[in-house]
Amino acid sequence: MLLPALLLLAALSLFPFFYIIWMSFNEVSLIGGVNFEWVGLENWTNLVTDPDVRSSWIVSGIYFVSTVGLEMILGIGIALLVHETVWGKNLALSMLLMPMFVAPVIVGLLGRFLVDSTYGLYAWFLDKTGLITWEILGSKGSALLAVILMDVWEWTPLIVLIVLAGLSSMPPPVLEAAKVDGANYVQRLRHIVGPLISGVVVVALLVRSMDAIRYYDIIAITTNGGPADATKVIPIRLYETAFRFQELGYAAAIGLSMLAFSILVANLFVRILKQQGLAR
Amino acid sequence: MNGTGKKIVLYALLLLVLLWTVVPLLWMVLSSFKNADDLVSRTPKLFFAPTFDNYIGLFTGGNALGGYIVNSILAAGISTIIAVALGCIAGYGLARSHFRGKDHVSFWIISTRMAPIAAVILPLYAVFRTLDLLNTTSGLVVAYLTFNLPFAIWIMNAFFADLPPALEEAAMVDGATRFGAFWRIALPLTAPGIVTTAILCLVFSWNDYAFAQSFSGPGSQTLPIAASQLITQTGINWGQLMAIGTIVVLPMIAVGLAVRRYLVKGLTLGAVTGE
Repeated sequence: MLLPALLLLAALSLFPFFYIIWMSFNEVSLIGGVNFEWVGLENWTNLVTDPDVRSSWIVSGIYFVSTVGLEMILGIGIALLVHETVWGKNLALSMLLMPMFVAPVIVGLLGRFLVDSTYGLYAWFLDKTGLITWEILGSKGSALLAVILMDVWEWTPLIVLIVLAGLSSMPPPVLEAAKVDGANYVQRLRHIVGPLISGVVVVALLVRSMDAIRYYDIIAITTNGGPADATKVIPIRLYETAFRFQELGYAAAIGLSMLAFSILVANLFVRILKQQGLAR
Repeated sequence: MNGTGKKIVLYALLLLVLLWTVVPLLWMVLSSFKNADDLVSRTPKLFFAPTFDNYIGLFTGGNALGGYIVNSILAAGISTIIAVALGCIAGYGLARSHFRGKDHVSFWIISTRMAPIAAVILPLYAVFRTLDLLNTTSGLVVAYLTFNLPFAIWIMNAFFADLPPALEEAAMVDGATRFGAFWRIALPLTAPGIVTTAILCLVFSWNDYAFAQSFSGPGSQTLPIAASQLITQTGINWGQLMAIGTIVVLPMIAVGLAVRRYLVKGLTLGAVTGE
């Protein structure tokens, strides 16, 4: 029963996979169809020495650590908060989860609207309170912060959802016993809740990490890498290399280096699943 | 702190969090009903005379959002149907079979789902160009299958693995074939799982921008592309943009929240089971 689907999946994944490897050893031109010219390791040596690519990896690193880090911290905090709620929990959770379903490109466009210096709601608020009085997406630091916070707005709810599932599956008697024994909230969090939900937290971290390197829609539609490359993460660099500068072979090498990273994370994910006896 | 004080702090914090998640969406919907003057007013306007002009404008004059809507529904819908149908069969096969190298097959499936979109676009673009699939809805369907098919296989595998095999074994003892056991026993019992998988596939492909932006032309452009096209050299029509945003977002929130109970399992790829 597996065969038909796996054959299609092979056509969809293995073929492009070998194709992109082949591309990375060639100079690919799109003039009159698709033409290859073998260049050996040239694209790969460029990849290692190119300062632009290196700076994009650094931006990607900052973006990745800040988005995933903030989402984990906020997500765990909010999940603990919602878990304590009794009244209106269902409605609150539904309202909380909404950003997750918004198309990332709409998140970016809506973000642009909210931080526009002449008529944006958030820009107006920041201006009135004197926090940020300049064009938010026009300045390096605030532009990077803005695209990070847009991603955090969209994906923190996912972490809340996952951690909350972990919290609800804790056996209540254990917590009751700790309460009776006089453990305060922080002690219970550290010694009981923490260890009980650590597995779920790791899953949340890995799921989020895998997607954080996949999508680039928000940046593409807001700053497209600018100003002055401040938000030029690796996928934006790849896209520009391939479709603006028409260096598809070089872009393929960049793509493969990204792929290596996500395979690493996927590997960790599968291992964690096995450890918890969840992979079948 | 006493009990009441604690509760007040708790609900105040929760309210703050909810304002954070919901205000941008409310603002989008509100703005989609504002006229041009109210939209660009320096002080944000909470009260205004609502107008449908932005929505009407999307379907009249030089604009024809209808075509984009049809393209979106076709591309997302067809890829979802194919992914879920094949995903059910293969997911069941994977859950019920034991063979050498099964771990490797699983790993291959999950890493296909996780491949960075930018890295997938490159080879697909070259292949689509050769096969004349650029600017076609079929091309988009194929592109969406690159993430929806592995997702559906993996997640249906997780849902089927939760079913005790005993039920199907009993049916097979009574003379049902393997396929009969799958079709009449396993499939109906995983109905919530199938619906969740379908909805998530639909949301992923409906919300796609990167693939559509690279592969689609005038004949196959989807709603997210229509939204991005409102940004022009001469300015941005924010009213219409907020209206498209509302059209793109509301149906996905509705279907997404409809399967809230099963979302955790779906979105953690089966690693965590919810409520």
